[in-house]
Amino acid sequence: MKDDKNPLGNIYISHRAISTIAYQSALESYGVVGLAAKNFTEGLTQAIVKDPAMGIKIDFNGNAIKIEMFIIVEYGTHVKSVAASVANSVRYQIEKAIGLPVSEINVHVRGLRISNPD
Amino acid sequence: MSNDLAQPVTQLDGQGLKKLIEAGLTWLKTNQQIVNALNVFPVPDGDTGTNMLLTMQAAYDEIATSGEKNIGKMSQAIARGALIGARGNSGVILSQLWRGFARECDNLPLLDSDLLVKALAEARNTSYKGVVRPVEGTILTVGKDIAAAAAANQVADLKAMLELIIDAADKSVAHTPELLPILKQAGVVDSGGKGLFFILEGMLRYLNGESLDTALMTVQPLAAMQMDETMETVEPGQDYEVVVDFRPKEELILDQFYNSLMEMGTSIQVGEGDGIYRMHIHVPTDNRYLPIDYIMEIGTITKVYIENLIDQMEQIEEVKNRQLKLAPVEPGEIAVVTVSPGPGLSRIFASLGVAAIVEGGQTMNPSTKEILAAFENLPTDKVIILPNNKNIVMAAEAASTMTVKQVAVIRSTTVPQGLSAMLRLNPDMDFDTIVEEMNEALTDVETGEITIATRSVTINGVNVAKGQVIALHNGKLIQSTSSLEEACLGLLQECETEDRERITLYYGDNIVKTEVNQIVDRIRSAYPAHEIELHEGGQPHYQFIIAVE
Repeated sequence: MKDDKNPLGNIYISHRAISTIAYQSALESYGVVGLAAKNFTEGLTQAIVKDPAMGIKIDFNGNAIKIEMFIIVEYGTHVKSVAASVANSVRYQIEKAIGLPVSEINVHVRGLRISNPD
Repeated sequence: MSNDLAQPVTQLDGQGLKKLIEAGLTWLKTNQQIVNALNVFPVPDGDTGTNMLLTMQAAYDEIATSGEKNIGKMSQAIARGALIGARGNSGVILSQLWRGFARECDNLPLLDSDLLVKALAEARNTSYKGVVRPVEGTILTVGKDIAAAAAANQVADLKAMLELIIDAADKSVAHTPELLPILKQAGVVDSGGKGLFFILEGMLRYLNGESLDTALMTVQPLAAMQMDETMETVEPGQDYEVVVDFRPKEELILDQFYNSLMEMGTSIQVGEGDGIYRMHIHVPTDNRYLPIDYIMEIGTITKVYIENLIDQMEQIEEVKNRQLKLAPVEPGEIAVVTVSPGPGLSRIFASLGVAAIVEGGQTMNPSTKEILAAFENLPTDKVIILPNNKNIVMAAEAASTMTVKQVAVIRSTTVPQGLSAMLRLNPDMDFDTIVEEMNEALTDVETGEITIATRSVTINGVNVAKGQVIALHNGKLIQSTSSLEEACLGLLQECETEDRERITLYYGDNIVKTEVNQIVDRIRSAYPAHEIELHEGGQPHYQFIIAVE
């Protein structure tokens, strides 16, 4: 949770709200085919999870947001470019929607999905 | 593939494809800036034209020296190169299109129109598999539309196929704003789709023997016209900028239009949006009405702008000269970032050698992000922040934890403290010593602030009525009176001015100069032995900020 003072009171934005934005934006980002569970106790890492809270970890660094994302990438794409693109668009969407800076965003590629073996 | 234009081409081998790839690459390079200008998604990897170009360049590099005749093997090599070189979203999608194309061509020796239709379909399928929620109105859509067009209108002649594919790509690109609202808002078409169009168009231009290294005179979307940039480069003979919005009577023949305009002036740009054309040109003084007269003949003029560029340039120069000259920072040097509540104070800070200024102060505290942004891009990793307000110290300290740079926050709570700290900046000393010196400097100065109470209150045993003048000494309320003059004198007494040498007054934007002079005269007669300085501070709310040293 994070509070941000305004003249009338406080604004609280939950981690879940932030991870939902990150999730939506990741799914629209080319090459990302799903989120992976962020640790072994939450499931096999290769399995695609549907709950944003499972594949995305949000922390606060002072007033800024720190994000860890665990993704599954389509086999045959340039993994580094895909990861860079998703980091950029997630950062952009979150900063646009929430107005707090994203200080750090780490993308962990947890696996590849093979639709077409070449 | 031969360059014989009349002959239908029904088969293409690996070497033919290589030539086409080279042509597509060259034409994309020629039009790279047009694609870049279309980008609406403001992210660092957002230069779509450049990204696609790098991707295609890598694809071509992979095959540049190849003598492979087999179309399957050649397209596999192209796909491999594109994959390795893929940059940005559009580049990754482009590499997936090639991957699908190559998979369908497999090990086959030659490409005919049957295979082309199948390969384009597979390219589309592969590209759509790479994303969970495809965003329509992008290069994905254009890939889908050309696959559909190829399947629907298949003919044996590959050049005719290419023509109809390009036609479909063109229509699909033009339709993208209908599918993606952000494009429509910006008044542009999708940049990735346009990039794909240029690659295909380059292939056809090569087959038609047309040049690939000079950009066409084209009509661009209005939003992509970059007029600000053209203004920077005013040369002799470009005395006036004329911009005319008009609706042509008949369809505009671009070549003719450009040729006529080129006789009148330079820097010609033409944009179009919703049937309205915008013409932009720089002309010498004598020709300033010619473009208007000419366009009057071919259409209905809706708006005309004429600007005297020479005069405008002079004004720009003047503004530039008036701008703050911040200290340039070299890597490894110490950069000081300061928060300043007014333009006059900013100038004084700048003259003392600060490297960046964040505007802000009482009731307008800058955010952590703004402070961070002020120094994050400076080319050094040693930063000192002077917040100059107790409400900003926190934000400054938060900013200092969010960077990898070495940052020290000097807890200056008033502007005079910040200025006093700034005087200790010595570039030859090491970071820790300067920080120590600056911290010491905070106690050298007594700060007084004079303002008007915005509400009635009792603090520190002082009763204040709304509208009274109040004096603060080092941030603490000490006095409320009915006149500014009284408040200043009372404050100076409190600051033990007798034992000090110098009084500096910074007057705010809410007091007139004659009043300032009266008050300063009174202070001069009260402290005849002191050195008294007066500066325009320009700060809001505070009639005076006073430093006593």
